[in-house]
Amino acid sequence: MSMQQSVQVEAPQADEERARQRIAVMRRLHMDNRIALGVLWVITAIVSLLFISIIIYLIIQGAPALFSANFYGTGQDGIAPELFNTFYILILTEIFLFPISLAAAIFLIEYARRGPLVTIIHFAAETLAGVPSIVLGLFGFAVFAVYFGFSISRLAGALTLLCLNFPQALRLFEASLESVPHELREGSLALGATKWRMIRTVVLPSAMPGLVTGLILTAGKIIGEAAALLFTMGLFNPGNVFTLNPLIASDTLTTRLYYLKGPGAGSTGLTFNQETVLAAGIAAILILFLLVLNLGARGLGRLLERRLTAA
Amino acid sequence: MQRARVSDQVARIVFIVCAVLIVLIMVGVFYVIGSQAFTVFSATSPQAFFFGNFWDPTGAGDPSGNSNPSFGARGLIIGSVVITLLAVIIAAPLAIGLALLFTEAAPRWLTRILQPLIEIFTGIPSVVVGVLGLIILVPFLQKVSAPLTGNSAVGGFGWGAATIVLVVMILPTVISVSIDALRAVPTSVREASLALGSTTWQTMKNAVIPAAAPGLGTAVVLGMARAIGETLAVALVLGGSQAPSKIFAWQSLFGPNVNITQQIAQDFGETLGTARAAYWTLAFLLLIISFICICISRYITSRSVYR
Repeated sequence: MSMQQSVQVEAPQADEERARQRIAVMRRLHMDNRIALGVLWVITAIVSLLFISIIIYLIIQGAPALFSANFYGTGQDGIAPELFNTFYILILTEIFLFPISLAAAIFLIEYARRGPLVTIIHFAAETLAGVPSIVLGLFGFAVFAVYFGFSISRLAGALTLLCLNFPQALRLFEASLESVPHELREGSLALGATKWRMIRTVVLPSAMPGLVTGLILTAGKIIGEAAALLFTMGLFNPGNVFTLNPLIASDTLTTRLYYLKGPGAGSTGLTFNQETVLAAGIAAILILFLLVLNLGARGLGRLLERRLTAA
Repeated sequence: MQRARVSDQVARIVFIVCAVLIVLIMVGVFYVIGSQAFTVFSATSPQAFFFGNFWDPTGAGDPSGNSNPSFGARGLIIGSVVITLLAVIIAAPLAIGLALLFTEAAPRWLTRILQPLIEIFTGIPSVVVGVLGLIILVPFLQKVSAPLTGNSAVGGFGWGAATIVLVVMILPTVISVSIDALRAVPTSVREASLALGSTTWQTMKNAVIPAAAPGLGTAVVLGMARAIGETLAVALVLGGSQAPSKIFAWQSLFGPNVNITQQIAQDFGETLGTARAAYWTLAFLLLIISFICICISRYITSRSVYR
């Protein structure tokens, strides 16, 4: 203020003009700022309301099915076989996926030096992560179902899901191994432990929270996958589905949902309304699984962290 | 001591084998799909494949009744490209806008809500989104487009519904990659801009966005890769078996239509021989397109300053 006054004495009119201009510019800038932030807020509100309303809509639509006893039965309008298959395929896939991708992550973090091999592995992982799941489904069909002779079966499906989720699991496990401080490794090696013993007794226990979170996140992807299973695990169940036989074809919650509303619409022996109720129920249960897994991954990761760092 | 060293060596070999396995899978995918991609050209010429309009590999729909197959994939390819581009054009500004607010100006309570919401939606099964589109979106679009399609009973299916479904599917991916890109910009860049007297918006526009531009580009390209390969969500709302004869018309948006992934999902299982070979060619095309997208995103990332 005092500056302005002193300048005003020297050249009152030109300065007044300049001051007015400056105020106008400031006003415009602040107006721009407010408009831009307003637009960003509107965008954020639209997108998050879209997401929230989708979740709420799915659960409300699915509620009638979720609270009926038939829904959990083995009838045409029940999902007991699909529930069983979904968890069966989840466990079978994780049996392959967890050790293999953890071993690959250990190699990349603990053993490999920077060089062409690491670059190639990372490039392959990134490329594989970008391959559409339907294309991987065809690959799984040609390799596991036809070439290895597993035909269209749970085993072929699980191996295809291994290929599909390998890159993501690798990235998650690499990140959790990387977060283990170097001092721990050096301390263990200095005590004369071999590298493998060091990894077993020091690195893996301290990376445990991250590994568990990674496991749960890949579980979510396995439960939600459908396109890769169309031609590797099929859309239909054999007569007796509740067995542990990995060589039978079977459907999952997602492929059943696709069949109900896609190619099988009208030929499932259900009325259109029953089909819709069933589909809404399956969609709701999938969303609930996903919510539980995501919140569970956060909660469990935090809990393990506290447990392990407190000890 | 001896035993420890042996087990150390064994562990090391196991780890290397597992890490190399991912390279083998990748090479295997290209080999298996590539090796079957070209057999279709013994039955048809590449020109007829890429520029023909009638897709009927089994010959069941041959108008002359002779069951002569035709392999015109032009409609499918255009379908995939159009809905992918439309979806990216709609999703990119929304996603980047949300990511900007999230990293630069959001209050704590908002980030606490958004973070888990984005994570949950990243994993939403595509078939769930497709069924949702089929139940809500298609009837709605049918009503909206009634004057355009002449109140057709199958109106509402088509590129329009597929685009909206794709937007929902790729938004979370683009948002989370954009957020990572914006977070990688060091605070000092923002502080320098603010210290010069910039408003928040000036800081975003002139400092943060240029610094994060390669990362934001990667986000869009990855969204594109995801969109072109998206299958079941799109398959359920496209609802066609043949591209419409006038493909670049408004009716294409609101009438049954086709794309590459939908045709593979619907018909691959029911074909044999040369007809099946045509679907391998389509799959190889998808593989190449997504590979190009990944290469572009890698190139952009390699040129960015902040990672």
